[in-house]
Amino acid sequence: MTEPIVQLQNLSKTIRGKQLIQQLNIDLYPGQITGFLGPNGAGKTTTIRMMTGLMHPTEGNVIIDGLSLKEHYEEAISKVGVIVENPEMYKFMSGYKNLLHFARMHKNVTKERIQEVIQQVGLENRIHEKVSTYSLGMRQRLGLAQALLHRPKFLILDEPTNGLDPAGIREFRMYLRKIASEEGVSVFVSSHLLSEIELMCDRVAVIQNGQLIDLRDIHNESSSFYYVEAQPKEQVSAYLEQHDFTFVAENQGYVVEMKKEDVPAMTTQLVQAGIQLFAVQPHQKTLEDQFLEMTGGGQIAEANSK
Amino acid sequence: MLKLIQNEWMKLWHKKGTWAMVAMLILVILVPAGITKYYEVKSPTEGSWQDIEQEAIQSYKETLAGEDLTEEDKAYFQEQMAISEYRLANDAPSQKDSSLASFMSFTSGMLTLVTLFTVITAASIVSSEFSTGTIKMLLTRPMSRAKVLTSKLLTTFLFGLLLYVVNVVVSALIGLILFGMGTGVELEMVNGQVVEKAVWSDLAYHYLLSGGDFVMSTLFAFLIGSVFRSSSLAIGLTMFLSFTGGMIVMFLSRYDIVKYIWLTHSDLTQYEHGGGSMIADVTLPFSLIVLAIYAVVFLVISYSTFMKRDVTA
Repeated sequence: MTEPIVQLQNLSKTIRGKQLIQQLNIDLYPGQITGFLGPNGAGKTTTIRMMTGLMHPTEGNVIIDGLSLKEHYEEAISKVGVIVENPEMYKFMSGYKNLLHFARMHKNVTKERIQEVIQQVGLENRIHEKVSTYSLGMRQRLGLAQALLHRPKFLILDEPTNGLDPAGIREFRMYLRKIASEEGVSVFVSSHLLSEIELMCDRVAVIQNGQLIDLRDIHNESSSFYYVEAQPKEQVSAYLEQHDFTFVAENQGYVVEMKKEDVPAMTTQLVQAGIQLFAVQPHQKTLEDQFLEMTGGGQIAEANSK
Repeated sequence: MLKLIQNEWMKLWHKKGTWAMVAMLILVILVPAGITKYYEVKSPTEGSWQDIEQEAIQSYKETLAGEDLTEEDKAYFQEQMAISEYRLANDAPSQKDSSLASFMSFTSGMLTLVTLFTVITAASIVSSEFSTGTIKMLLTRPMSRAKVLTSKLLTTFLFGLLLYVVNVVVSALIGLILFGMGTGVELEMVNGQVVEKAVWSDLAYHYLLSGGDFVMSTLFAFLIGSVFRSSSLAIGLTMFLSFTGGMIVMFLSRYDIVKYIWLTHSDLTQYEHGGGSMIADVTLPFSLIVLAIYAVVFLVISYSTFMKRDVTA
């Protein structure tokens, strides 16, 4: 396994006696896109603020490319590109002046590089207009541009697709995939759009009440599920029980945990038993299902109602 | 660091308010100059200067002959009479109309406006980044917070200095064009002797002493602005203290502590023309030391809170 580019080590934050983040340990690797999920108030933004130096951890450390953010702030943060929530720009200046402003704060960002980034995010036509005339989507693009100026090795994005149109979201996703795979950039994305995270990420980290509750790869599910719809239902469930399958009722049928090899045998037997078979199809558990399963739907509602 | 200041300078001049301030500063010099010139051209003074001085001496005599005069009034009129007599005896005409020097000593009063505008800038240069949320973008860069704050402080003073220069240069130009160097001689009484006034060095000294209030007000506004992240609070509090400062000092003048608050000292122009402070035992060097200590305290508080702060904007 390659060396992690970012390490969160026992990261904790306490504000006025309230523990917002407890002992968070996450490693992020080059070329990997990690999604960061959690119900409202779980501590996502606090974690991201500590990773960008906006907040100081009460305990623990953030290591970026081997450098501690606490002790070598300038050098460590120079490898990070950040979009925290809505990218707030200087509205009274043009997009170009904004980029120039941020470029000056980094070493070795040339005028050519600024042009290159403007092209990448597709803002060539409006870049010299004031930011106050931009739509939310254009501001997001400008936000991405400022985060990419200095070719960061690590990109932190908080709600990046908020306000982008579908084409923009798609483009954005492709672009993140591209820089992750081609330039080996490690990306850390927090979002509420679970379907978005599912399409974009290789891994998800889930936190709740300030604690990491899960860190898993998305695409290789170990067990597989099939959705079986047949009539009469009683006979189907009897059959499934008889053959020791785990299953749950869903809609008109059942979601059954089974191996692919077992599918033909089951269908044949069901048909032979005179059961009317309507559908047998692979069932993908969506990230949303997994997320609700992990965090418990009730607790989200509780957090939301606060 | 130079690039950071360049950034702040760019942001400053992209705000309309900055241009409005400069325009206003020029306007308050231009308008009174025009009015003064207009009336001088419209109704020129009549008669030779000797006649006027004679008339003045006559009226001083009449006033002095009157009964109910305080000692101070008496001294003043006697002084004026001595100067007028000196003018006649030594053929030294007084300044008939406005001159460059008199106009500039008038516009040096507009330095209050320079201070006000610099205070507004100092109050908002940090707090506006918080209120617009751009502070997040600014602080996630490979520049330490200390550097960012320093660039903002230096930019504020640079802007203040520019306003100072604008005040001096514009009033010098306007004064020279409209009034010229003047023909008269300014006289004053020093230790019972009539001597020529050192107009220019007095003026330069006034500009220098005005710097005391300018620096302290700016640092105070910068402190409040960066600690409380509210520009209106910073401007309001600074203005409030500059208006009521005299009253507070008066109120506390019975106690020794008055010597150690900066309000007693920030108006350094009290030491002009050989004057002293209204508080006993307070001299210019003492005032400068007290102000320097306060300046350091203001800066330490500004820096430490800015560097420790958790940014949640």
